[in-house]
Amino acid sequence: MKNVCLVNGSLRGRKAASLEFLRDIALRLPDQEYSKKIITVRAKVKEKYPEDMLKSLAAADAIIFVFPLHNYGIPGALVRLLEDYYQYQKTGNSPKDTRVYVVVNCGFPRPGETCGEAVRVIRNFCRRLSLNWRFAICIGTGPVVVMTRRIPFLYPGLKMAYAAIASDIQSADNEKKNDYLIKPVIPETIITMIKKFYEKKGRMIERDKRS
Amino acid sequence: MISNQAGNIEEFTLNILLLLDKDSKTKLSEDLKARVITALEENGHQIQIYELGKNDVTPCIGCLLCLTKHPGECVNKDIVNEIRKTVKKYSGTIFLTPVLFGHYSSTMASPINKGTGSHKWQVIIGYGEDIDAEEKSTFIDLTAKHRGKMDIVHPGMDIQVDVFVAESIKDNMDIYETLKTCTR
Repeated sequence: MKNVCLVNGSLRGRKAASLEFLRDIALRLPDQEYSKKIITVRAKVKEKYPEDMLKSLAAADAIIFVFPLHNYGIPGALVRLLEDYYQYQKTGNSPKDTRVYVVVNCGFPRPGETCGEAVRVIRNFCRRLSLNWRFAICIGTGPVVVMTRRIPFLYPGLKMAYAAIASDIQSADNEKKNDYLIKPVIPETIITMIKKFYEKKGRMIERDKRS
Repeated sequence: MISNQAGNIEEFTLNILLLLDKDSKTKLSEDLKARVITALEENGHQIQIYELGKNDVTPCIGCLLCLTKHPGECVNKDIVNEIRKTVKKYSGTIFLTPVLFGHYSSTMASPINKGTGSHKWQVIIGYGEDIDAEEKSTFIDLTAKHRGKMDIVHPGMDIQVDVFVAESIKDNMDIYETLKTCTR
């Protein structure tokens, strides 16, 4: 039985696209083979994240971070969890050879160009703590993918990537693997038009030009 | 940097907003802060300083209502929201943040992610004495690579973003010289 800790890095509650991706992955990890623990980041933390959350991370054979891209980086609430976990490990709780995976849900159509730095931050975190970095799934326009992912024959790459996480956790193989880049089925021009519509509706551009 | 359209250097007073992480103070960061303030004050500029702590700020929740429904205003009514309301009166914003795994700290993530920086000029200075080469490179890419015209989400919204990483007092001295020269 493998202990898997799934970390939801979104603060959007039930509306979070990241939560949908996290649930998809959890479904591919059967209860008979995996003991799963889901951790959700918090907006307000007193002093530091509770010790039981940090213990769950430390006890995991695999950690899967699922988070939305914020300003090309990691959400502040998840950075706080990484900071607290790093301190926790530094104060005498020696880490085991935990496998680490990342699912980045970015709002833009080009995951390869936008998610790289966030993935590198998690890789740096793994290097600092001697965790076993495995690979990332970078999903472009996450909310669009969430809405359309159940349509048959769409996103075979996403399904392959989920399967790769499940098999990699069970495997003893430490060979380096490439990241998976998932692009939305809706063309970028249409996504840009939708974005501009909402920006115009909110008068964001006009107000910012006044500054 | 501070020049008119003809390229002539102009003399004027800048109004600078300085944001820093009060929970991550080190000898290096205190020296850096002092040098940044000195560089600006010696050139006659005005500085407004906010020292932010983990318990003062609320992280961005990614609801996007600050971009669509009520631009510039966050749903979380914390100190960062108050600062964000006044940001248009500043000529530039300077962020001082520790570098953790190549990222800015969770405290500084709040103002940076909520767009609290001036759109005209931002300076992001990361510091830390044990930053490795990959973390330094990650931090520079994260804060500088996608800004200005390279920002595929809002191209050109932030006109200029300058990034520095301070790993020693020597780096602090270099940053002091650069800031002093470019705000003269």
